[in-house]
Amino acid sequence: MIDFGLPLLIGYTLLPFVFILLSNYLFGNTEFANYVYGLIALSFVSKLSEPKRNNFLKSIFNKDKYNKLRIIENVIYCLPFTLFLIYKKQFILSIILNLSVVIITLFNFSTNINVTIPTPFSKKPFEFTVGFRKTFYIFPIAYFLTYISVSVGNFNLGVFSMLLIGITCFSYYSKIENEYFVWNYNLSSKEFLLEKMKTCLVYFSLLILPIIITLAIYFFNEINILIVFLFCVMLISLQ
Amino acid sequence: MIKIERLSKFYGKNQVLNSIDLEFKKGKIYGIVGENGAGKTTLFRCISGLENYKGNISSDYTKLKDHLGLLLTEPFFFSKITGKEYIQLLANARQIELSNIEDKNIFDLPLNQYASTYSTGMKNKLALTAILLQENNVFILDEPFNGVDIQSNLIITEIIQRFKKLEKTVIISSHIFSTLANTCDEIYLMKNGEIIKKVEQVDFNKLEKEMKEFTVGNRIDKLELK
Repeated sequence: MIDFGLPLLIGYTLLPFVFILLSNYLFGNTEFANYVYGLIALSFVSKLSEPKRNNFLKSIFNKDKYNKLRIIENVIYCLPFTLFLIYKKQFILSIILNLSVVIITLFNFSTNINVTIPTPFSKKPFEFTVGFRKTFYIFPIAYFLTYISVSVGNFNLGVFSMLLIGITCFSYYSKIENEYFVWNYNLSSKEFLLEKMKTCLVYFSLLILPIIITLAIYFFNEINILIVFLFCVMLISLQ
Repeated sequence: MIKIERLSKFYGKNQVLNSIDLEFKKGKIYGIVGENGAGKTTLFRCISGLENYKGNISSDYTKLKDHLGLLLTEPFFFSKITGKEYIQLLANARQIELSNIEDKNIFDLPLNQYASTYSTGMKNKLALTAILLQENNVFILDEPFNGVDIQSNLIITEIIQRFKKLEKTVIISSHIFSTLANTCDEIYLMKNGEIIKKVEQVDFNKLEKEMKEFTVGNRIDKLELK
């Protein structure tokens, strides 16, 4: 909570209200809320199945105590979801959910996916390399939005898809660099920053190029807006 | 050559380095030993230019850091960067064109995996590979044998010995005395931010014995092990 700038006491007081609010919102807006809710609860509880932590627990407790402990902690972790399901009179689902979290204790699995996601930016690590891997799903969404914008003749939607990529790419630079990496460069501060901006501009241009070309072809009358957009991007990059 | 004169470093009111004078020559391997908190890492950070300090550090190079390969005790890795990309990043930083990185993978590391998932020893080996490929003339290796398996230990020792022939300057810190004895020309003993002893190769055995007596003493007896 402190990480978010919120005092612990207020954070923990607010947490149940936020949970109830979000749960209510889900049940009020989705037909399949039961299933979605169950899946959210399971994914939440599955965090406790990390092999590293459980191997540690196994090394401390005997088998019986370990099994008891895992069942109790999974049921406690799931308790807010169970209580809300009971409140919503979803008794069968709450029983199934609790049975599932008990069964989960039999398995240890990692929830962190460490599959190396291919990136076209590996020649010049690291902002775009790391950023692309963290947000790779944004790009198909943005290109799909461009396709829709052309299909329905909505130019603004196309501009939004460009903005989406722009915001995503600029977020890659929000992280403070590790001093060791900066230290390693044998460039002056000015050269170092220019190099970074150049990389940013080139890679960003590559990512929005398909959108620009598509929009320029299908919305030729609006090409001046596209030029202004590109000009703004260049200005932001140079700042 | 690197010349350190009256080097002092304070963290607030806490003095961690106290008027250190040292000289590191080309083609020589130097060892720095001392207890945890003796000031070894701070000394390395000052030489590298990562810390401000009082005193003077001069070298044959206009900018020492551009010729310096620094291996930190716990190398930092971003979460989604592969071993290969890490090597590429450090090579790019020094404008070194690298080709066939896989062929230079002497420690057989899984270069296409994220470096952050490596074990401590693998991280050390990756960081070492990266600085070796930077074509540096001076190397500061802070605990290079940390968590490293015996095979890689032999490779690292051999690399350090080759550096000597290549007229490079190497400064190593290690808690494993035998690795230093096998590689170093001189060993400096640090305590409370000061260099308290300089030992030449012929006296390494004597130093090890002294250190053992001084460090271990009768401490273990206090445990009354049964």
